[in-house]
Amino acid sequence: MIGVLKGLVQTWKTHWRPRVTVQYPDERLPLQPRYMGFPGLMWDAEHDEPFCTGCQVCMRHCPTQCMTVTMMDNPKFADDTSKRRKIIDYFSINQSRCIACSICVEVCNFEAIEMTHIFEKANYYPDVVVDLPDLLQMSADHRAHKDTMPSRETRDQL
Amino acid sequence: MNLTIPFDPAIRILILAAVVFNVVLILTYVERKVLGHIQQRLGPMRTGFHGILQAPADAVKLMFKEDLTPNSADRLVYQLAPFLVFVPIFMMFITIPLTATLVVQNLDLGLFYLVALSSLHIVGLLMAGWGSDNKYALLGGVRSAAQLISYELPLAFAVMGVVLLTGTLNLTTIVHNQALVPLVVLQPLGFVIFLIASLAEMGRTPFDIPMAESEVVGGPWVEYSGMRWAIFFLGEYASLFASCALMVVLYLGGWMVPFAGGLDPITGTIIGAAWFLLKTMLLVFFVFWLRGTLPRLRIDQLMAFAWKMLIPFSFLNLILTAWALVYGDELPSLLPFIHPAGSWLIVAGSVATVLFAYAVHRQTRRSA
Repeated sequence: MIGVLKGLVQTWKTHWRPRVTVQYPDERLPLQPRYMGFPGLMWDAEHDEPFCTGCQVCMRHCPTQCMTVTMMDNPKFADDTSKRRKIIDYFSINQSRCIACSICVEVCNFEAIEMTHIFEKANYYPDVVVDLPDLLQMSADHRAHKDTMPSRETRDQL
Repeated sequence: MNLTIPFDPAIRILILAAVVFNVVLILTYVERKVLGHIQQRLGPMRTGFHGILQAPADAVKLMFKEDLTPNSADRLVYQLAPFLVFVPIFMMFITIPLTATLVVQNLDLGLFYLVALSSLHIVGLLMAGWGSDNKYALLGGVRSAAQLISYELPLAFAVMGVVLLTGTLNLTTIVHNQALVPLVVLQPLGFVIFLIASLAEMGRTPFDIPMAESEVVGGPWVEYSGMRWAIFFLGEYASLFASCALMVVLYLGGWMVPFAGGLDPITGTIIGAAWFLLKTMLLVFFVFWLRGTLPRLRIDQLMAFAWKMLIPFSFLNLILTAWALVYGDELPSLLPFIHPAGSWLIVAGSVATVLFAYAVHRQTRRSA
């Protein structure tokens, strides 16, 4: 009986407390700097090509085997504008299988792949397989908010 | 009282139906908002200003959903059940007076009629439980039958105190008897028992065992969808409002605004109705508040509470009331300025209420 009254007092007090939830699509909580969304591929602005050489180490380490990677000879190596012999030809991630575990980022020898903050991929007609241009675009979008990201440049400081 | 609503009864019932539907819409919205704030959320926010159109949106959604009947269901029983739940509850509104003039049909046996109707929708719930051919539905139906029949008794016995005091079953006359002082002062124990028992009658927390979502996944409602489910829902909220309105009529003085004699009829009616609705909404808020606070009882706790606590104490209330009415006037008054019988009622009722609270305290401590 006393417990019931105590409970009523408690809920009465809670009723007037400010809310703790956020009206999600209109306002969002800030993501942590190392938040792991879907992986994206980074762009080497210096040589105007992706960092990725298509070495397939991420593909082989992926626990859900959601990646497909193929390699090709780098045309820019032939005319001496780049040091990379090989370059990525085709790269796709099946985002319905990706578990955003960051293992591909850990194993990458060229620091060419990163975890973006992108996680809202719901769609009426989901194109779950994301290919190279989209992956590069995801990373580029992500890097537009540079203050909160563990990129190539800032990763060592974190 | 002669009625001044200038329509014939059929039109009055149509107006009543519209009012009940709108009240239910408002109640669902208010409940979600209150629960949301108790849980430090905002509740519905996306449809209209602060989600105010959420309830109509839900109603429209339910109307357009498919009305499924399980293959193995007992078709007739299954499809009839929602109406048998809703109709008795809707019929309860007919004699509940908003003010002396705003009532569909003032019955001389109004209270008797209400008590009779309030146990009728058990049949519908049992039919829903049986007809669905679903073990959860059957469990829920049987539970609701056990619960509602058990709590019917203390409810009726608590009301008996009011009947003894006012000497009538006519709800309008009962309210007129409370012009000076609301009956809750003379019948504190009766009010508490009536409140608890009607919580169980409404199937609200902590007595929502028949519909327990986490145990029997909605009880008799499991298999229903679309409009039939909406009718069940309508019935539940309509009975919530009817019970709260009845509490206001029987115990809280109805539309009798204190210190407002001598108003002209129309203003008096408006103010009285507003006062009545305010009190009803406060009670409704209390019910929602309880829902946000208390966990559900176990089925054995529920039955023990009805048979070991509420029924003995409702007998006690009845006996005390009868005793004070018969012998109270021969005794000296206990309180200044108060009629001896009234003073004995107030004192005895308060003592009995404290006793009741203590007994509940012991009971809940032992069974915890």
